[in-house]
Amino acid sequence: MQKQIIPSADFRKQLRERGGESATRCYQCATCTSVCELTAEGSLFPRSQMLKSQWGLADDLAGDAGVWLCHQCNDCTARCPRDAKPGDVLQTIRSLAIQELSTPRFMGKLVGNAGKTWPLLIGLPILMWFVLIFAVNGFDVPEPTNMKIIHASADISFVDAAYAQDDGHDDAGHHGELVEGDETRLVYEELVPHKYIYVVYSTAFLLALFAVLVSAVKFWNLIGRNENRKGSFIGSFLPVLAEIGSHKRFGSCDTSSSRRWAHFCVLWGFIGAAFASGLLVISLYITKDPLPLAQTHPYKIIGNIAMVLLVVGGLWLFINRLTDSGKTGASKAYDTFFLSLVVLVIMTGALTELGAFVFPPLAASIVYVVHLGSILTLFLTVPFSKFAHMIYRTLAMVHERMVEA
Amino acid sequence: MNQVGVFVCTGCDIGAAMNVAGLEEVVTEAGAANCTTHPCLCSPEGVATIQGAIDDGTDGVVLGACSHRAKIEEFGFDRTKVFVERVSLREQVAWCQPHGEEDTQMLAEDLLRMGVARAARVSAPEPLAMTIDRRVMVVGGGRAGLEAARVAAGMGNPVVLVEAADSLGGHVAGMKDTVPEHPPYDTVHPNEIGRLVEAVEAHPGITVLKSHTTRKIDGQPGQFEVELTGPAGTETLQVGAIVQATGAHPYDANKLSHLGYGASADVVTANELESMLAESSLARPSDGKSPERVVFVQCAGSRDPEHLPYCSSECCNTSLKQVAAIHRDFQDVETAVIYRDLRSPGQLERFYLGVQELPNSLFTRGEVGGIEDNGNGRLSVQLRDSLLGDEAILEADLVVLATGLVPNAADGESIRLLRDARAVIAKNESETQVAAARETVGELEHHDDTEILNLGYRQGPDLPVLQYDFNDSHYICFPYETRRTGIYAAGALRAPMDPAQAAEDGLGAAMKAVQCLEMAARGEAVHPRAGDISVPEFSLQRCTQCKRCTEECPFGTLNEDEKGTPEYNELRCRRCGICLGSCPERIINFPDYSVGSVADMIKSMQVPDEEEEKPHVVAFLCENDALPALDEAAKRGLKWNPWVRVIPVRCLGAINVVWIADALSSGIDGIILIGCKKGDDYQCHFINGSELADRRMTNIQETLDRLTLESERVRIDELARNEFARIPEIFDEFLETIDDVGPNPYKGF
Repeated sequence: MQKQIIPSADFRKQLRERGGESATRCYQCATCTSVCELTAEGSLFPRSQMLKSQWGLADDLAGDAGVWLCHQCNDCTARCPRDAKPGDVLQTIRSLAIQELSTPRFMGKLVGNAGKTWPLLIGLPILMWFVLIFAVNGFDVPEPTNMKIIHASADISFVDAAYAQDDGHDDAGHHGELVEGDETRLVYEELVPHKYIYVVYSTAFLLALFAVLVSAVKFWNLIGRNENRKGSFIGSFLPVLAEIGSHKRFGSCDTSSSRRWAHFCVLWGFIGAAFASGLLVISLYITKDPLPLAQTHPYKIIGNIAMVLLVVGGLWLFINRLTDSGKTGASKAYDTFFLSLVVLVIMTGALTELGAFVFPPLAASIVYVVHLGSILTLFLTVPFSKFAHMIYRTLAMVHERMVEA
Repeated sequence: MNQVGVFVCTGCDIGAAMNVAGLEEVVTEAGAANCTTHPCLCSPEGVATIQGAIDDGTDGVVLGACSHRAKIEEFGFDRTKVFVERVSLREQVAWCQPHGEEDTQMLAEDLLRMGVARAARVSAPEPLAMTIDRRVMVVGGGRAGLEAARVAAGMGNPVVLVEAADSLGGHVAGMKDTVPEHPPYDTVHPNEIGRLVEAVEAHPGITVLKSHTTRKIDGQPGQFEVELTGPAGTETLQVGAIVQATGAHPYDANKLSHLGYGASADVVTANELESMLAESSLARPSDGKSPERVVFVQCAGSRDPEHLPYCSSECCNTSLKQVAAIHRDFQDVETAVIYRDLRSPGQLERFYLGVQELPNSLFTRGEVGGIEDNGNGRLSVQLRDSLLGDEAILEADLVVLATGLVPNAADGESIRLLRDARAVIAKNESETQVAAARETVGELEHHDDTEILNLGYRQGPDLPVLQYDFNDSHYICFPYETRRTGIYAAGALRAPMDPAQAAEDGLGAAMKAVQCLEMAARGEAVHPRAGDISVPEFSLQRCTQCKRCTEECPFGTLNEDEKGTPEYNELRCRRCGICLGSCPERIINFPDYSVGSVADMIKSMQVPDEEEEKPHVVAFLCENDALPALDEAAKRGLKWNPWVRVIPVRCLGAINVVWIADALSSGIDGIILIGCKKGDDYQCHFINGSELADRRMTNIQETLDRLTLESERVRIDELARNEFARIPEIFDEFLETIDDVGPNPYKGF
């Protein structure tokens, strides 16, 4: 089949500016291909991706599933005799592919150029929250509330256990024997009523979901263009989920084996956080538990474990990145933005919880609003940030299975 | 007959290995005047003892001590007064045989007998006294020639630089930029050939003769008579040594029609692009527009059995240079280089990297299937076997074919065959001969008028060529050395190379030329027998004009008179002794290496009779590789068969077949010849000695078969210097063969 080669100077320029400048050094020796654990027999991964980057073949790269199978273990970068850093180049290709596949395109470009646009990306949602809160209650910072903590005795089910406000009329609706204790904390709902949170994040979630779906379909069609997939999507999807859950393939990396567990923590931290949030919704609307939940509450425990996983994993990755760029690849603005955002969400989340007890009310409230704003940024940028690898990588793995089948 | 004195050293295990006292009787019987033993012959006292004997009239000294490759300075007696035979009792007996055994003693005795026999027979050579002209003539004024002239003149030799064109600088003169030659090697350099040309033209020791060619070169190193033609007519001069640096020219792109050359004006050669870039222009020949994309096709004709089977070596770097120049001088032009392997060795790897990093400079491995006009005013370059896709198409506005190099060389030997064939036709003596000659003429006619040097040599008017018609050089060991002593090849004439390498070549060749003149002035041979002052004597009254020596001399030393009698040119001679090996009349002999001396060595051995069941084998070992390998084997403690007697020879080609007959008639059971590897990538230090020996021994074996003597008794083997570990095995195998065929039936006659 004859194909016209259309090199793109523009793509090459973007690749250079976004951290893939080392691609030009590649002289096609295929060391990367021979050391890569992912390279299937007869495949030229990632050597051919290096060449296509050098030429700027944007379409080829955007529709290349192989690019997404890489976990950037950097075995190739460590062994490249010419310092062409295939790991970095692939990372840059992925960021450019996200941009190439993005809907709407302007968001892709905005996030893609996070190195320049990050104040806008982080600042705008925080500002929005401040404005919203001002409009609602004039940013009236609440006073810490002294709360009577009521621990459930053994014979009542855990959903009955709850905090009760120490306002005189006691836990009348609850059964069984209750034990009292004291705790003074800030109650954030007094600052931001939950309904605003639901409206904002539901909208953001739907927007993000739409963007993700459109891009995912685009990507799925592109990678399937020249290859024959067999079997059912679900049949391949389930083993892929198991693989993602265990991070088994990640473990085959020699150069940066510790990243497997760091990433594992972050992944499960996010899953745990999402799960805890879901349980919270159940607790709020189905079992109608009073908020906030006690620290010993199972939902709270899940949430806290998730938080610990996120903090540990996130810091681990962040420190790895700061201390040994040879193994993790050079930090580029796009990744730094993503990672910083995740860390910001995690840290402000943790500080919000801690601040409720120990910070001055104004400081705790500002931290909370920053937390809300950064979560909004995270939601809105998911389809365009490194987070999008969740979708593309999963689809690429399913595609790989279906092609191999 | 010499007065022979034998000195046996007992140091280095020799004394422990054998009964030294018993040797005394043996050597006296063999004809030596005396036998002195010394615990350390190489000590000042030991050396003084020998010197004393020489002063007292001993003119043949046999040193029963270490190998001739050891203690060279200590035993460096005046070679014009005394002949010193080194009998290697240490390497060939003490270190490779069990001590104190009967066979060990017999071996030591035989070796000493052989040494005494040779010392008694030969004489110390007379030094040559020649008048030498130290002028160096450089033929070709390109980068290599200019450098050769500059270097030779810098060493104090007068130089004449002969250039056929009317200006110096050659191929390089037409370039604006050159491939980097200085750190950091990452981008092009301005062409500096102008400075070199100026330096050469201004040098008081260099005479530049532009528009001149060589019409005739007669004589020998140190004494060449050169006839030049130039605008002012013919002139003659005397020169001592010659550097040929006639360079190369680009392959004819008209033969590359499959790459679109000729069909489209926008397919140009690297040379044509070079001319454009020299004028800082980059335009499509078809419409004069500036191209948006220029595609370079590497190996255009090179590494292609249909065209040039070899890598032309400089084209990758030339393309890199042109790409760099385009990106420097013209904005927004995209360049793409299609290569099979991009070869930019050494520091130029940095250049490749530098050019790769230019923003619009693309590279891909691949084959170009074809190039055609696509009808839209652009060219479609079809890529195959490329990672950009099978059968991919890349559009281009201008295609540059990186055509390879063809040497400006003349094939001296073919021209000679052509001339000989024409002579046969002119003589018209036999119909079959004339028919064969006509066929030769048909095959070789394309060599007409290709002569460059016009040497007055029996073996052809120019240097011989090696593979792919590049002029001769011993490229493995002695890159500039050719088979014509005193004539050195430099630059792209001898191997494809870029200007920087050519400059280095010019330097190397100039140093070789000057070295040759120094050696000639002292009457010494150049490599590999550097310093040898012996020259062969020809007893021409017995010559039968068989022409074997004139044909077989690898160095064109011998011319012929009209009858075919050899005319010896001592300064062309490398003293290899191949002529000695070739002569059926045995009339060619060196004072210290003669048919008689080796025959005497063979006859001096005591061959055990049949009842003793001890086979006796003579091994002729080439002094260049096989003998050093034997020494190495001994040094490493390898042990081998005690029934083998080693006779060192100058080259396997320097073995006269009469020695085989002598050995067989002496009752020796087997003869093994061990020499250098033959073939195109020869290691033979005298080019074709191993091959000649092989041919001669095949004839011998046929003769043996006719005489119902088993042809297995004569074997020839090849051994590289580093294959010393094979020595015991080679001997063992051969002795097994001898055991199978049984004792020599002539034993005892």
